[in-house]
Amino acid sequence: MAFSTLASKNNNQQRTGSRRLTWLALLALCMLPLSPANALADAFRIDHAETTLESGVYHLNAEVSYRFSDDALEALRNGVPLTIQLDIQVFHHRWWWWDKDVASLVQRYQLQYHALTKRYIVRNLNSGGQHSYSTLGSALHALGDIEQLPILDKNLLAADTTYTVRARVHLDIESLPAPLRPLAYISSGWRLGSEWYTWPLQR
Amino acid sequence: MAITTLRRIFSGKTPVLLLLVLLLASLYLMSGATHNSALFSRLYSVLLGINALAIVLLVTLIGKHMYRLVRQYRQHVAGSRLTARLVIMFIVLAVTPVSVVYYFSLDFLQRGIDSWFDVRVEKALDDSLELSRTSLDVRMRELLRQTRQMTPELANTPDSMAALALNDIRTDSDATELTLFSANGRIIASSGTDTSSIVPARPDDATMLQLRQGSDYVGLDPIRDSGLHVRVAVRVPSPNPVGEARVLQALYPVTERMNTLANSVQAAYAQYKELAYLRKPLKYSFILTLSLVLLLSLLTAVWAAFFSARRLVAPITDLAEGTRAVAAGNYDKRLPLPGKDELGFLVRSFNEMTHKIALARDAAARSQEQAEAQHAYLEAVLVRLSSGVLTIDRDRVLHTSNRAADQILGVELGEFVGRSLDEVRSEHPHTRHFIDAITPHVSDGEQEWRDEIILFGAGGRQVLMCRGTRLPDVAGIRAGHVLVFDDITALIQAQRDAAWGEVARRLAHEIKNPLTPIQLSAERLRHKYLGKMNAKDADVLDRSTHTIVQQVEAMKEMVKAFSDYARMPQLDLEPIDLNAVINEVLDLYRGDRAVKYLVNLDAKMPRVEGDIGRLRQLLHNLIKNALEAMESRGDARLSVTTRCMEEASCRFVEIRVQDNGPGIPSEMLGQLFEPYVTTKPKGTGLGLAIVKKIVEEHGGLLWAENPNTGGALVVIRLPVLTSNSVDAEEDLTVALVNHKGNDDAAA
Repeated sequence: MAFSTLASKNNNQQRTGSRRLTWLALLALCMLPLSPANALADAFRIDHAETTLESGVYHLNAEVSYRFSDDALEALRNGVPLTIQLDIQVFHHRWWWWDKDVASLVQRYQLQYHALTKRYIVRNLNSGGQHSYSTLGSALHALGDIEQLPILDKNLLAADTTYTVRARVHLDIESLPAPLRPLAYISSGWRLGSEWYTWPLQR
Repeated sequence: MAITTLRRIFSGKTPVLLLLVLLLASLYLMSGATHNSALFSRLYSVLLGINALAIVLLVTLIGKHMYRLVRQYRQHVAGSRLTARLVIMFIVLAVTPVSVVYYFSLDFLQRGIDSWFDVRVEKALDDSLELSRTSLDVRMRELLRQTRQMTPELANTPDSMAALALNDIRTDSDATELTLFSANGRIIASSGTDTSSIVPARPDDATMLQLRQGSDYVGLDPIRDSGLHVRVAVRVPSPNPVGEARVLQALYPVTERMNTLANSVQAAYAQYKELAYLRKPLKYSFILTLSLVLLLSLLTAVWAAFFSARRLVAPITDLAEGTRAVAAGNYDKRLPLPGKDELGFLVRSFNEMTHKIALARDAAARSQEQAEAQHAYLEAVLVRLSSGVLTIDRDRVLHTSNRAADQILGVELGEFVGRSLDEVRSEHPHTRHFIDAITPHVSDGEQEWRDEIILFGAGGRQVLMCRGTRLPDVAGIRAGHVLVFDDITALIQAQRDAAWGEVARRLAHEIKNPLTPIQLSAERLRHKYLGKMNAKDADVLDRSTHTIVQQVEAMKEMVKAFSDYARMPQLDLEPIDLNAVINEVLDLYRGDRAVKYLVNLDAKMPRVEGDIGRLRQLLHNLIKNALEAMESRGDARLSVTTRCMEEASCRFVEIRVQDNGPGIPSEMLGQLFEPYVTTKPKGTGLGLAIVKKIVEEHGGLLWAENPNTGGALVVIRLPVLTSNSVDAEEDLTVALVNHKGNDDAAA
């Protein structure tokens, strides 16, 4: 009797377990397009990145090359602003537990075509500063040239620990006009982004 | 535990309503989001996801319901067919209008969105943009010329003096900012009205390249917060002849009015352009929203169809199950009331019906119990009755019998219940007389009758007093009879014995008294007149008086025998070795050589308690009787057998006295032991009556029969005293021996 009860309980647990797994899988499938990690890895690339310590603050210098897809370029030329997001994370690797995030920073840039002046405007959404460029190339170059971006105060770091920095850029689909979003989520032409670029924090 | 709680929460009505409200809200928000309002715009993707999830959930739920329904349908579960029909009906009712609405909405959507766009509007917007550019171009060319005029002045100014020079030049011009760059883009000096921006914007690489190639730059630059500006960059020759050319960048504001107009044109153009570009995605997203809304509504309707069909059918299923339960005999089933409608009324009626049936069944069960109790009571009474009771029907099939009937008839009548009495008659022939006697009464259908029936069974002759009464037609017995009978053999015997005792006593009393005077008188006559008479007369007198005296003597003997029979002397009981008594009595008869005695005595005879004198008389009477019966035979043979027996938990000794005489005439067999029943020409006829009396005085039993070997057999059974165990016997023997020893010693 006891045995059979146990067996059925086990069976039940197994069944609930498998059901839970199915739900999780379903949820993951739904979330898949939302995840930036799934972005088309080759479109954007961080060519180089480094951190420098200047007067107690770590600064980021990076070079990013952008290669937009035709869909994105067409939208840009039709006046749709494209938002590019730069994620920067400083973390401390721990072998016995999950990595500890020390700082994470999100920089957002907007690229827009100005029809009247036929210029490309690059806007830093964090600082509000904007510059216009006569060609897309120079706009992208300016966009990709990140200089002396302050990311972290030195005092926040422990002296005897090694830290790792990583960064990536991707097109923010959620900032696109609503009608474009469903399409953007399922079309590969819109999933633009780079892999994580990781390097140790220079002390 | 948690799963059951969840199940309970998710199976009620509330979550259904909640889900529907949430779905409607999300649909409303999504439709708002499609209109590109800022808040909804942000939620759009999330709402889309939620709705997709809701669809998946609904599809799963519907799939589950569908699977269950199909399975129940195949298993022919009660109510599944009706549920299926209702579900199909509901679905058809829901799908048809939704499909029509969907089709026309799609068409409307396509046409509606397309109607927003017009080629002429587009052309007009293009033209206005071009117009703006042209009007700005004039101004730009003017500003380029102005800026170029500044260069000679600066050309001769060294870098160190440039700031002052720039300031002077700027105050004289419309420029809001003047900046002098070196060839590699380094700022040499700057002057601006806006003091807030410390670092002036550097010309981009393309402009620098253009300048390096020798052509000046003029262009419009939308600057944040301050609107459109004209940016002019011209080369400034170096004061140093070998030095590289420098670059002067000037920013001129566009007039306020111009700025507003240009911005308006730009905004309208950009919006229209974006909208035109988004035409297809917009259509898709509208269609998506519409499809989602309709799909959700449809799925909800389908789900609701299952839900409501089940709710509708549930009481019917309950009723079907309830009916089945009632058919199976379960009347305690109560159905849940579905509501106050007609179905509720039906269910309530059903519940009332089953309740009443249950009451009726309980009442029936109670009365059956009572009947059974009564039956058991009657049975108990019947069992304890000393009278035999039988019930039979008109066809003489036995229905009831009691134990007394078994004992009286000597048949296990229980085996014959439900069978005809004829079977009893053929299997137990001794009941023949009984059954033959009652048959005419039963078949005549007499209301009440009495009859005395004589039965010859293993226990000898039995007289039964049988009373019959006709029963009313009840309990499946048609024209039945109840027979009550008693074995009155002993009663009759006792009456007869008492009557004879009385006769004997009277005889003794009435006859004995005159006999002595008669005898005395006869003797006196003889004495007085015998000597005086002549020889002839004397001879007559002598013979006459002799006869008188002799006959009176015989009469006295007879009267004495009668009085012996009538008188019941007190028994002088003592333990007796019966074998010894038999031997002692037989020794008296051994002298007669004409008779052969076969004595077979059981060596293990226990002692019986009895009056030794009476027992001797008993043996004398029996032996004498036998010898008299064999008088005419040459090979007379008398056998006496004793043995100890045990029958029906009763221990007794048996004495069998058998002769080889002519046997007992069958008509006398019944009354052999009664007084004055004799086959002999002489004798009182009291011999065997006395034997019987003695046996009965000792609590014994006797009967006579004619065995197959010939002659007559008398069997006497005397009970062995219960306390007379083997040990007690031995003690007694020892005691007797001691007593004898003492006697010897005294002698």
